[in-house]
Formats: sequence, structure tokens, C-alpha cells
Amino acid sequence: MRDQLKKVFPYVMFAAAWALILAAFLLGERAPKPILLALYTLGGMLMGFGAVGIALSCIHRSPEQQKEYERGEHDERNVAIREKAAMSSWYWTLYMLWAAFMVIQIFVGGLWGVAVSVVIVLHCTFYMINIHRWNKRM
Amino acid sequence: MTNRIAELRKARKISQAELADGVDVTRQTIISLESGRYNASLLLAHKIARYFGLTIEEVFLFEEEETT
Repeated sequence: MRDQLKKVFPYVMFAAAWALILAAFLLGERAPKPILLALYTLGGMLMGFGAVGIALSCIHRSPEQQKEYERGEHDERNVAIREKAAMSSWYWTLYMLWAAFMVIQIFVGGLWGVAVSVVIVLHCTFYMINIHRWNKRM
Repeated sequence: MTNRIAELRKARKISQAELADGVDVTRQTIISLESGRYNASLLLAHKIARYFGLTIEEVFLFEEEETT
């Protein structure tokens, strides 16, 4: 069941992307601009994810290649690399959010500053929640 | 921590790919272990030692400074 869902999901995303873009096109001038922008953006994102998912599902591997691929997924060095890369990415995202926050505070201000600070708080909160989760597991 | 993986592997005429297959890791992991860039987990160290029919201490050499 789960495997079937995994296979179908990219096609669903691709179809949903076309539906959103078509809806935005049909709505045209009748809908407010932010709604159209949201529809096109979400449609574009879904199309990207869907197309990549479909392309990946079309790759056929020999049993040996499949075994090597699965081994690479669970290989402890690869897992360690992914963990270190994720940790490093978390810090870099935080630095960039701080930089954006400072720039907005100096040059723009207002609600954008509040929005970025909310994102920073969420970014750190998710980190702490995950630390707590893993602390209980390990 | 240093190890004798390359030495043991060459003495037994085993390729990196064969060893990787035997302990269920990628060849790149074996390359990294041999060059000392990556330290094996206890589980992998155990698998490698068992593959060579030796103990972990005979394959992996712990240096005193690292533990203090």
C-alpha cells in the first residue's frame, strides 16, 4: 500500500500542478493578484517535485545496481555525511535568517521583520523539538 | 585511531569492493577507513574484525592520547 502510494504520489503532484496553473489561468483578472501568484507558485513547485519524482521512478536499475543503491542509502559513512551536512545547513540557514532580519530591520521594518523573526523562532524551536525527540530515542 | 585494514586486505589479496561487499558498506567507506579519514562505528569495526577472523583490537589500533 505504502509503496503504491509512493509510486502514485509524483503523478498526483504533477496533475495537481496543472490543475492549479489552469485554475490561475482561468481565473485571470477576476482573482486578486496575491491569489494568482500563490496558485502559480504552488503549481510551479508541485510541477517541479512531480516531474523529478516521475523521472526518478523511470530509472530502471539492474539487481546489482539496486543493491549498490540501497547499500549506499544505509551506509554508515553516508548517513554520517548526511547528518553533518544537515547540521551545517541548519547553522547556515540560521545565519542567513539573521542577516535577512538585520537588513529588514534597518531598511524595511514593519511586518516583514516580524515574519522573519517568527521564522527564526520556528527554526530554533524545531531544532530543540528534534533534540528532545532524539534524546528520548537514543 | 589507526587501522590495519589495508594491510590485512592486501595480505589476503582481497579487493576493496570484496571487503565492502562482505561487510555491507560502500567501497568509498573502505577507502575512507583505509586512509584514516573516517573512523568506523563499533558495529562496523566488529563486522570488519569478524571478516578477517580477528578481534577489534587486532584490526583497530587505539592511541592513548585519543582517550585522555
